[in-house]
Amino acid sequence: MTVRPDVRLADAPMRPVGCGSCGAQVLVRKSSWEQTSVQWNRDAMLTCVERRRGRGQFTLCANLRSSIEAAVRDGELAIVDDPS
Amino acid sequence: MTSLQPDGVDEVRQIEAQAAPARFARGWHCLGLTRDLGDGKPHSINAFGGKLVVFRGADGKLNVLDAYCRHMGGDLSDGEVKGNEIACPFHDWRWGGDGRCKQVPYSRRVPKLARTATWPTMEQDGMLFVWNDPEKKAPPADVTIPTIEGVGTDKWTDWHWYTTVVETNCREIIDNIVDMAHFFYIHGGLPTGFKNIFEGHVATQYYKSEARPDLGSGEGAAILGTTSVASYYGPSFMIDELTYHYEHGDQSTVLLNCHYPIDENSFVLQYGITVEKSDAVPEDLAMQMAVALGDFVKMGFEQDVAIWRRKARIDNPLLCEEDGPVYQVRRWYEQFYVDAADVTPDMVDRFEFEIDTTRPREAWMKEVEDNLANNRLPRLVGLTT
Repeated sequence: MTVRPDVRLADAPMRPVGCGSCGAQVLVRKSSWEQTSVQWNRDAMLTCVERRRGRGQFTLCANLRSSIEAAVRDGELAIVDDPS
Repeated sequence: MTSLQPDGVDEVRQIEAQAAPARFARGWHCLGLTRDLGDGKPHSINAFGGKLVVFRGADGKLNVLDAYCRHMGGDLSDGEVKGNEIACPFHDWRWGGDGRCKQVPYSRRVPKLARTATWPTMEQDGMLFVWNDPEKKAPPADVTIPTIEGVGTDKWTDWHWYTTVVETNCREIIDNIVDMAHFFYIHGGLPTGFKNIFEGHVATQYYKSEARPDLGSGEGAAILGTTSVASYYGPSFMIDELTYHYEHGDQSTVLLNCHYPIDENSFVLQYGITVEKSDAVPEDLAMQMAVALGDFVKMGFEQDVAIWRRKARIDNPLLCEEDGPVYQVRRWYEQFYVDAADVTPDMVDRFEFEIDTTRPREAWMKEVEDNLANNRLPRLVGLTT
């Protein structure tokens, strides 16, 4: 039984974003300013400084978040068009 | 009336669904409370497509074996605990917790291959867990159920526990962890923040909600809202650190939500609630609160069940941008249904998904205000008014 890809990715796939702080490469998709999906891989997990420092539940890397927002502002990461 | 549309525009989207998997998830499953299962009597549990017997031997160890005696198929759960062994009611064959037949009282020796299936067990925080693995390997040390801080001390109440059978495949309850909008439509919540993180064998939901003014005021102090951090550790056991916000302060509770499959089309759903005691909330009040919250949670599950009972299994849900990561949680869940060697990085790599609650909140506040203006209670599925 294989799981299908998210139907929402068909028209707007996830895009690579690098962290301006540690260089970790993740895949990101934003359907709005407030909505964010982040796909990590093993390399990114090992690279992220906050992740390595984090104890217990690691909820967010603030540097990565800033880098994603910068990517949107600089036009490198488009926010998925909302027709409404 | 006919409608003439360009090709493709009026194409109908089909629901697609494969049959539920015939194998059962690898992982720790809670079978219930040790205060119930560990009383020295044999207990019968329908799980993982078969029947198990649970018994505590004289040595104090809780054991889980296949319930059917390898001799002539007697049901060991109708038998008797004798010493450290379970004795079959049919011919008194004695089976040890290691699955080996220890003794056949009327025979000179035990036949070869007198070994039955066992499940590794773990007792923790008042619960009995079994490790299910179709490959029959031992549980890895890094795949554990965390202990719950405070539980078992006199600062928290005993578990208020509830068990029920749900007649559907257990994927439905897993989907719930990513489903923000159903909290409004099914459970009468008003979500204000919602995020999921999946990593390794853990899937977490961060959820904040406000009280809905159109639900009317119940008895006692009004709840302003809730903050919840709920994690599945493996395929079936969720610990929800659930804080209720009142005007006079916060109340910490822990809600367990766990299940084990009976077969591919049904599961046993269990939940437990414990409430933190304090000077303001002594033993009696805390236990009353646990029972009251339990009734509330029970109502919530009944609302879910009302949907599950009638819905279609769907492998290709059609999602809008305000929905959660349904496909990704299923990808995470898939790791428990393949051999350990076949777990792929995408099933366990970290994935974060934060929902934008702006638009949902606008729509829902409008609905709430309409209800208030018309002096009308919201219609919630599964509840009779």
